[in-house]
Amino acid sequence: MSRRRLTVLSFALLMSFSIALAQVQVEYWTHEDPNRTALEEELIAQFHAEHPDIIVTRVTHPSNTLAQLILTAFAASRGPDIFNMETFNEYPYIVNQRVVPVDPVAAGFGSYDAFYAAYLDGMLDPVTVGGVPYGIPLELTNWAIFLNMNVFRDAGLDPLTDYPKTWEEMMEIADQLTVRDGEIITRRGFDFRYPYYLNFMVPMAQQLGGQLIGDDGESAIVGDEAWLRVLAYFREWGPHGRNLGGPTYANARALFNFDNDDIGMMESGQYQIARIANDNPGFLPGEGWMVVPFPVWEDAVEDLAGAYYGHYWMVNAQSSADEQEAAWKFIGYMTEFAEEFFARAGLLQASQAVLDSDTFRNHPYSDVFMADLARAPAIYYGDASPQIKQVLQDAVEAVMLQNREPAEVLVTMREGVERALRGEY
Amino acid sequence: MARNSARLTVGTRRALWGWAFVVPALAFFGLFAFYPIVNAFVLSLHRKNVLSLQPPRFVGFQNYVDLWNSAQFWNSWKATGIFTVSTAVPLVLVSLLLATLIVSRLRLQRFFQMALYTPAVIPGVVAAAIWLMLLDPRGIANQWVNFVLGVSGVDHKWLASPDMVRLSTVLVYFWGKLGFFTIIFIAGLGGIPTSVKEAARVDGATGAQLYRYITLPLLKPTTLLVSIMAMIFCMRTFSTQYLFTQSGAPREPINVVTLGIYTTAIRDYQIGLASAMSIVLLVVMFVLAFLQFRVSRTQDG
Repeated sequence: MSRRRLTVLSFALLMSFSIALAQVQVEYWTHEDPNRTALEEELIAQFHAEHPDIIVTRVTHPSNTLAQLILTAFAASRGPDIFNMETFNEYPYIVNQRVVPVDPVAAGFGSYDAFYAAYLDGMLDPVTVGGVPYGIPLELTNWAIFLNMNVFRDAGLDPLTDYPKTWEEMMEIADQLTVRDGEIITRRGFDFRYPYYLNFMVPMAQQLGGQLIGDDGESAIVGDEAWLRVLAYFREWGPHGRNLGGPTYANARALFNFDNDDIGMMESGQYQIARIANDNPGFLPGEGWMVVPFPVWEDAVEDLAGAYYGHYWMVNAQSSADEQEAAWKFIGYMTEFAEEFFARAGLLQASQAVLDSDTFRNHPYSDVFMADLARAPAIYYGDASPQIKQVLQDAVEAVMLQNREPAEVLVTMREGVERALRGEY
Repeated sequence: MARNSARLTVGTRRALWGWAFVVPALAFFGLFAFYPIVNAFVLSLHRKNVLSLQPPRFVGFQNYVDLWNSAQFWNSWKATGIFTVSTAVPLVLVSLLLATLIVSRLRLQRFFQMALYTPAVIPGVVAAAIWLMLLDPRGIANQWVNFVLGVSGVDHKWLASPDMVRLSTVLVYFWGKLGFFTIIFIAGLGGIPTSVKEAARVDGATGAQLYRYITLPLLKPTTLLVSIMAMIFCMRTFSTQYLFTQSGAPREPINVVTLGIYTTAIRDYQIGLASAMSIVLLVVMFVLAFLQFRVSRTQDG
């Protein structure tokens, strides 16, 4: 090799080494969602073209294991630079100072005032601690009831008029839609979305005047009558009651899209619409399926829908200053495409701009979801929300599967939530 | 140097070579087994939130006191005890029986060994996922049992009823480990000198007498090994119970100690308490294994 060639080669190597040194690598962990994956991969490529100094690596995990993977990674101080989870799982990261406050400048908002003004009122409350925001919304979700119109017609019901408006009607109609071979259910009329009890079970109790946590912040499971009604309802729903379904049956939401005559109704958010279109393009809104509001009890004291929750992008406090800045820059870039997130993945980033868009207005059943959102309580979040979710799960399993008395379970449920609030085992 | 080397006896030199071979394994064990145990014990004397960056707070044996007073912890031991007894005892007996049957066959020995061992190479989580499909209300388990019983449409609630979910975890584990223990017994049976059996036959021993008075006593070290391993494996069971509870099965009947350790650390963030639970489990396993050795030695005496 000539001396000149050697010099050129050395220079090229040196240059590429310098570029590699100048680049900031950012790792982003998120849950699986095929529609969002396609969009985000495109946006990452675009972002890299515009910011060649930042490399974003996107890693997906199943939504039911993401929380534990992130926790173990953080426990070993090897957490990703960016991640998202449900509100109730993210809050402990804020109080334990494992994530940094939003950098409004890097994210492209300019200031906190401009940042708050970009989102609907209250939408940043779950990630605001001490007046400082720690997350940027990836999605804001409330669940309504998806209804398979073919199943209704098959049972001799008119889906447009006979859909359930109350929980009492829900049980009756679900019973009419359910098909069994002896005790074995071959088609469920409706089933709950286990084990997300904070999303649907707590609002059911709140509709009757119950509270998960009392106003004093220490008492738990307030309003015995309300909670006993809810627990009795779940016992009646399960195999020891009218045998309408239960947590050991296949996830209703996963079955619904395929229109295989195995599920009549289920709970989900707007993102389900894009997933139905993906999984089963021939299953059409208004013909094959429709969405109706979250039911209330006949004697409800409060008209509430299912709890709304968010997934927020957060940034690891142990990442370097450069990585944090690059992370917020990338997240800010993603928020510029809020309308695409809604159009292609059904994910509402809770910004006023999206709500005002034609895309949102013309999206199937946006009116139903927005009307429900207006009467939806925020999901419970706090230091101990994952533990409290587990206590509720144990309680439902006890009445539904172990056939235990609601009054007995109520006592253990209250003790469990109070223990979780005190941080005890 | 040469003079020093010359002074070493043959025994010392052999011992040195022995140490040279053993030290890497000891170092490996120390680093990956002993150090974590010591670390877990130290952590068990502290309060530590797994998410917090604050240093652990020393609390002495308070975590152990909390466990002693915890109804949930005792329930975990009950679940572990029920699972271990219901799984380990049949595992030892059936694998011994199967090994005897396979060894007694002249043909297709390898095929039976391979067929039995196959489930042992399937990871526990995959096995549990397969069984979840079989145990689904519309799955093959209900169909098969209903066919055998001559009934129709009965849901045996494999994952829903507390007793049935216990039985289901036992079935999954039993299926997964049976081949493994059978192979160990087959190796043990193969190690019995044929000359002893032939001598007994010459003395007029029947097949049953041969098995009772020759095979079983000579197989005792293998039986002891299998029974201790089965007990320890069963006490460490986790993936089946974890996957079943993730799939909606009630937690309380199958909330074994390992599942409790996992939820205490990962869901409740209390890594100090979870470490205390691990140490208690380790001590209990050690004591039970020691007792089995002692009982076996007493019987020999």
